[in-house]
Amino acid sequence: MTAVVEARGLTKRYKNVTAVDHVDLTIEENTIYGLLGRNGAGKTTLMQLLTGQEFAGSGSIRVFGEDPVENARVLSRISFIKESQKYPEDFTARHVLRSAPWFFPEWDAEFADRLVADFRLPLKTRIKKLSRGQLSAIGVITGLASRAPLTFFDEPYLGLDAVARQIFYDRLLEDYAEHPRTVVLSTHLIDEVGDLLEHVIVIDDGAIVIDQDAESLRGSASTIAGTAAAVDAFTAGREVLHSERLGGLATATVGRLSAAERAEASAAGLEVGPVSLQQLVVRTTAGSVPAATSADASTSFDKEQSA
Amino acid sequence: MTSYSPPATATAAGIADAPHRSHRILAVSRLQLSNRMSVFGVPWMILGFIFLVNLVIWWIIYQSVADPADRTDALEGLQYSGASFYFFVYMLVLGVLSMAQYFPLALGLSATRREFWFGTSLVFVLLSVLYGVGFTVLATIERATEGWGFGGRMFTVVYFGGWDAPWYTRLLLFTSAFLFFFFVGAAIATIYQRWRVNGMLAFFATLGVVLVGAAVLITLGSGWPAVGAWFASTGAAGVVAWGLIPTAVAAVVGYLVLRRATPRG
Amino acid sequence: MDDSRPIFVQIAELIENDILAGTLPEESQVPSTNEFAAFHRINPATAGKGVNLLVDEGILYKRRGIGMFVATGARERLVSKRREQFQTQYVRPLVTEAAKLGISGAALVDMIREENDA
Repeated sequence: MTAVVEARGLTKRYKNVTAVDHVDLTIEENTIYGLLGRNGAGKTTLMQLLTGQEFAGSGSIRVFGEDPVENARVLSRISFIKESQKYPEDFTARHVLRSAPWFFPEWDAEFADRLVADFRLPLKTRIKKLSRGQLSAIGVITGLASRAPLTFFDEPYLGLDAVARQIFYDRLLEDYAEHPRTVVLSTHLIDEVGDLLEHVIVIDDGAIVIDQDAESLRGSASTIAGTAAAVDAFTAGREVLHSERLGGLATATVGRLSAAERAEASAAGLEVGPVSLQQLVVRTTAGSVPAATSADASTSFDKEQSA
Repeated sequence: MTSYSPPATATAAGIADAPHRSHRILAVSRLQLSNRMSVFGVPWMILGFIFLVNLVIWWIIYQSVADPADRTDALEGLQYSGASFYFFVYMLVLGVLSMAQYFPLALGLSATRREFWFGTSLVFVLLSVLYGVGFTVLATIERATEGWGFGGRMFTVVYFGGWDAPWYTRLLLFTSAFLFFFFVGAAIATIYQRWRVNGMLAFFATLGVVLVGAAVLITLGSGWPAVGAWFASTGAAGVVAWGLIPTAVAAVVGYLVLRRATPRG
Repeated sequence: MDDSRPIFVQIAELIENDILAGTLPEESQVPSTNEFAAFHRINPATAGKGVNLLVDEGILYKRRGIGMFVATGARERLVSKRREQFQTQYVRPLVTEAAKLGISGAALVDMIREENDA
C-alpha cells in the first residue's frame, strides 16, 4: 500500500477554537475511507487543509508526496465535493458539467451523462432554482465523473432522498471497482455507508479518536443486557464504553467478546447484541455531552443530519 | 490482498506528469466566460440603452436650439458627457463578480489561487481590448456622422481624447480605463474573499479616511489650484495613462490578498 | 449484513451456503469480487477478503486471468467443517434455552424427534 496523504502534527486554530488539533493521519491509496464525527468536530477543516483550501497553523501535510497548497500537480488529482459549494448566480448544471472536464484530466463525460439521467438532474434550470437535492446531485456527479485519484465527499447528500442516496452509493461502488481510487466520505449517515467503508476515521473535538480498519471495528463492541446485578457481575473488570439503567435492568456496551465470553454471558442470563458502527461512533464521541443527555446521544446525532 | 483488477490510472502514489500550467490557467479563463450573456450580452444592452436615452436628449437639444452659434455651444457642453460612465461601472461590477462568484467555484474545481488570478486577469485584458476596440469604432462613427446627426457626444468626450484624437490614442485610453475598472473591482472583492465583512468595513473606512484626509490637506495647503493645474497639464490622455499605475497596483495587491484566501460556504 | 461480525466472514459464509446448497457446483465459476460487492453493496476490498478466506481454505481456487472457481471436494470439506460447528452453534444454545424454559432433556429429545418426523 502507498500513502496518498500523510499529515503529521497538523493543527489549525481559529480565534478561539482549535478546529484540528495535532492530527497524525495516513490515507492509503485505492481505499474508501469514512471520515466520521459530530458537527463541528473538525471534519471539513481537516479536508480543507488536505486540499490546500485552508492554511495549516502548524504541522506538515504531504499529498501525493508534496505540499498541496497552491500545487497544481497535486490539486489536479484531487476532487473535493462539499455540501456548501457555491455556484455563480446565472449558472446551470450544464455550465458546471461542461467546465469540470477542463480541470479534471480523468473526467468521463459518458459517465457524467449517465449520472445526470440517474439523478434526473435538470440541466437547463438555473442552479438557484434547483432543489437542495438537485444541488447536491451536481456535486455528487462532479465528484464521481472527475475520477480524481483522491476524491473527498463532504456530506454530499443533503436533500437527496433515500433512492438518490442509494444511487450514489451504488454508482460509487461500481465505478470504484472499475477505477480504484482513494475516496474519503465524510458523513453523518454512518449506518447507510458503513458497509462501503474499508477504513474508518473518527474525529472528535479536532482530534482523531478512531483510525481503524472497518472490519476490525465491526464487532469490536457488544451490548449486553439483563438484570443490573448480572450486568454488573459481568462487566466487573472490563472497560465499559457506555451503560444505561432502568429500574433493576441494565445495558452496557463493552469491547470485543470471544465466543467463550459470549457463552459465559448467555449462561449468566444476559442478552448479547451487536453494536452498529453508528452506535460505536456515537458512544465514542458523545463524551463531550453532559451525562444526563448521553442516553439521547443516538437521536441527537440523527437530528444533526437535517440541521 | 484483493483480487480486483489493478488500478487503471494511478498505479503509483507519486506524480507522473505535471499538468500543463497554461492549460489550467486557460481553463479558468474559459470558466469566467462560461456565461456569454453576462459578459458579452448585458454590457452591450446597457450601452445600447444609454445610447438610446442620449439620442433622445440630443434630439431634444437639437430641436430646441435652432441658432447655429448656440448649437456649437451645446456641442461644446456635450463633450463633458458622462453617459458612458455606467458602462464602466458595469465593468467594475463584473470585476467584483468574477471574484465573488467564481473564486469559490474555481477552487471547488481544484484550481490554484494563482491559476485563478492569472486566468481571470487574462479575461480582463481580453475584454478590455475587445470593448476598447468597440468604443474606438463607435468613436470613429460618432465623428464621421458629426455626432449621430445631432451633434451628440458619447464616445468622443473629453476624457477619452476629445473630438480629434487619433484612433490609437482612443483605443489605448478606452482599454486602460476598462482595465482600471476590472482590476480595481476585482481587488476590492478579494478583500471580501479573504477577510469577509470586517475586511470590507476596514477597507472602506480606510479609503474614506484617506480621501477626506487628502482633501483636507489639499484644502489647508490651498493646493486645489495645483491639483487642477496638474490635471490640465497632464491632459485626459495623461490622466488615463497615470491610471495604469493604480491598475497595476490593484492587480498585484489583489493577487497577494487572494493567495491566502479561503473560499467559505 | 449484520453488525456483530466482520462482513468478509459473512460473505465467505454466503458463498459456502451456495456451495452446500448446490447453487455453486464444484468446478463452476463464482462471481467476481466486484459482482459480490455490487450485489451486497459492500466494499470490493471486503468482498475480496471474504473470497480470499475461502481460497486459503482450499474451497475456491484462482485461474489466472479467468476468475475464481469452486474446488473439487469443496462441498465435502464444507459439510465436515459445518458438522463440527453444529454442536457449538446450534445444539448448545438450544440446550441452554431449553434449560431456561424448564424443558427437560427427555422432553427436548422428544421435540426434536417430532420435528424430524414431520
